Amino acid sequence: MLRVEGVQVRRDRKVVLADITLDLLPGEVLGVLGPNGAGKSTLLSTLSGELQADQGNVWLDQQALSAWSGVQRAQRLAVLPQTSTLDFAFRVEEVVGMGRLPHQTGKTRDEQIIAAALQAADVGHLSGRNYLALSGGERQRVHLARVLAQLWPGEAGQTLLLDEPTSMLDPLHQHTILQAIRAFADRGAAVLVILHDLNLAARYCDRMLLLEQGRPYALGTPTQVLQPEIVKAVFGLEVLVQPHPERGHPLVIAR
Amino acid sequence: MRLSTSAIALVVGLLINHGALASELPQRWVSAGGALSEWVVALGGEPKLVGVDTTSQHPATLKTLPSIGYQRQLSAEGILSLRPQVLAGTEEMGPPPVLAQIRSAGVQVEMFSAQPDLQALKSNLEQLGTLLGKEAEARALFGDYEQALQRQKNRLVKIQATRQAPGVLLLVGNAGGKPLVAGRDTAADWMLRQAGGHNLATHTGYKPFSAESLAGLSPQVLVFADRALTGEAARAALFKENPILASTPAAKQGRVLEVDPTLLVGGLGPRLPQNLEVLSAGFYPTLSEATP
Amino acid sequence: MTTLVKPRTLFIGLTLLCGLATWLSLALGPVSLPLWDTLRAALRLMGLPIDAHGLEQAELILGQIRLPRTLLGLAVGGVLALSGVAMQGLFRNPLADPGLVGVSSGAALGAAVAIVGSAFLGGLPDVFGPYVLSLCAFAGGLGVTALVYRLGRRDGQTHVATMLLAGIALTALSGSAVGLFTYLADDATLRTLTFWNLGSLNGASYSRLWPLLLVTAGVALWLPRRAKALNALLLGESEASHLGVDVEGLKRELVFCTALGVGAAVAAAGMIGFVGLVVPHLVRLLAGPDHRVLLPASVLAGASLLLCADLVARLALAPAELPIGIVTAFIGAPFFLYLLLRGRA
Repeated sequence: MLRVEGVQVRRDRKVVLADITLDLLPGEVLGVLGPNGAGKSTLLSTLSGELQADQGNVWLDQQALSAWSGVQRAQRLAVLPQTSTLDFAFRVEEVVGMGRLPHQTGKTRDEQIIAAALQAADVGHLSGRNYLALSGGERQRVHLARVLAQLWPGEAGQTLLLDEPTSMLDPLHQHTILQAIRAFADRGAAVLVILHDLNLAARYCDRMLLLEQGRPYALGTPTQVLQPEIVKAVFGLEVLVQPHPERGHPLVIAR
Repeated sequence: MRLSTSAIALVVGLLINHGALASELPQRWVSAGGALSEWVVALGGEPKLVGVDTTSQHPATLKTLPSIGYQRQLSAEGILSLRPQVLAGTEEMGPPPVLAQIRSAGVQVEMFSAQPDLQALKSNLEQLGTLLGKEAEARALFGDYEQALQRQKNRLVKIQATRQAPGVLLLVGNAGGKPLVAGRDTAADWMLRQAGGHNLATHTGYKPFSAESLAGLSPQVLVFADRALTGEAARAALFKENPILASTPAAKQGRVLEVDPTLLVGGLGPRLPQNLEVLSAGFYPTLSEATP
Repeated sequence: MTTLVKPRTLFIGLTLLCGLATWLSLALGPVSLPLWDTLRAALRLMGLPIDAHGLEQAELILGQIRLPRTLLGLAVGGVLALSGVAMQGLFRNPLADPGLVGVSSGAALGAAVAIVGSAFLGGLPDVFGPYVLSLCAFAGGLGVTALVYRLGRRDGQTHVATMLLAGIALTALSGSAVGLFTYLADDATLRTLTFWNLGSLNGASYSRLWPLLLVTAGVALWLPRRAKALNALLLGESEASHLGVDVEGLKRELVFCTALGVGAAVAAAGMIGFVGLVVPHLVRLLAGPDHRVLLPASVLAGASLLLCADLVARLALAPAELPIGIVTAFIGAPFFLYLLLRGRA
């Protein structure tokens, strides 16, 4: 479980993130949204330990994040960045297999997990292929499989942080992936996902955090957060909010 | 007349001894260093040579021998493949571990001096004479050399009584480009002085020349040696690549002389005395030849 | 996708190749030894009681000249290839070369100081002579790399991009310093310097060999243990960190292994290029980028390649010798061009 308290991050004397206090609860998907430059990626970097907060603390399971050893932290916390710069011709399953690096589960079990993760990310059919020969969307899903494999099968005590995992995916895969992430959370993992699409967030997230200029503007359930005034204030967009005809979650429609 | 058996026995004995002595002398030679190889040939050792280095280019027949490469980068196995009994070279030979390997293979490694002075030449010739079984010839060669140099000195004394030594520069280039000026402690410097010139270069060794310093020096005679070209082609290339030379008094008066660059490597060689005469003639042209 | 060679096939093939190259390196040379003599001399050297009659020359050539030279070639080829893998992992770029961190140019500078400096001092006594050159080259390589590494560090982190630029700058600086020494050198010293820059396995002796053998063994045993971490590093530094890899420590190890390995190789054999660039490429083409295969395979491939190059160097112009750096460049440069033209390797 990840806990953040009073975190503030400065970059060159400018405050890029402030007053962040939140708990990532097991079994929950928390969506983080906001306009460009709102501090979403900064927040994710701070939560993953990559950035050191200038003020405030980050705890992973009752211990300060910085106090965890690299391997132990990696067994509990996995991060999917926005883009990947892998430039070598690994096979797809080799890339996913790197997710098992923090663990000592042995070859057979690893292979089972890799196969399952590939399936969950809907890239099972790409097994054996050259990573460099894949499209942007396929690569993104392979990396998702990697972080899923890192925490497989997902349970309470594990945290998954994802930075725009659907940015390069077609509509069908956007949903497939978020369903996989949802399934992961349902097994007990805590998930934080940065998204751009308000409706996707509304459908798959238990709670949403809207950031505006580095500060939390709203934190709550999609119904609580997705109010026209809030959306207007954060995104500058005039919207209507209606319930989804079949599922009931808020549906944001631009006016 | 009947030859007594003892007389025959004596003659035969002497012949056999001489043959035995001859077979104790090393028969297969590898030589490194241009001047050294020339002396070996001068002492009649050419039939014994089985390999030479890349600086040994005189006489031209040496070029047909197997080449052991550059004398500072010898290959132990390469030399051993020629099955030599002697490896002759100067302190310029190397690298030292290779020489050690060659020695441990039972090859006699004979070191000679590459210093450009007469004393070094004398001991070199003595050593060579002993190794080739031509002690008398070696002494004779040295004697001739000494005499030739003495004659040269005497000539100079006479000339320099009335005339001043010309300021000279010696340039070594490659197809005219990037010439180096010969300074002190070089064989080139020795040659210039023996020929009666005054080497204007004050540095030690070879240095690339700068146009400005050249302008300050004003040589009356230019001597050049080119590694790639000879004769008119070399002269033309030298002036083409270095137009500043055209402004020197030497160029204006047409006093530009050429020497063979192989003379400048590996100590004093046998061809130097004749070349000294040529140089001297260039430094001190007879009065009727001097341009107004 | 091109089918890759299975690791086992690759290792068997490379081991056979390496064995063949070693055998050829011992059996062939300017001195033509009868094969039977070579075999018997080899067995004698291994300690077997074989009649020594008529074997003196073979024993000398084999034991004093060819064997140390072969060992030198194996070690230099292996460690240069390993360093190539390390650098390509550090910079996450298959076009990286050990020289990027400045170790080659630093070693060249150290050698220039030694060669020209000792000429100035009128030549050092022979007993120190060969060691001085190696020590200076080694010190130069380590020194420049340490400086490059230091320049790349900021806030307790090593910035690889900064290191790359620092490496380029220091290589240029070393180059001009070598140029200065070249100017100060006389003709003879200049040629020595030039030949050193072209590399050679000539004059190999056991006494100068063992430091390099130690270093090569050390690097060859250490790096494969970091194979999985190196794989993760290719994902990116933060991704590797998220997988639990101590990224800063790994970068430090890679730089250190390269400096040590290439420094020792250059100190022993002069500058030999292209091995660190070409060999990892070749192995990746055959068997993929997984470091668990790439690292040990590169050692074998690098050693084999260098021994083959040395055969050409020794035999092409016998009884003279080609500097081996020329042979590796002749093989490496066209191959590199071919890789570039072919597209992604």
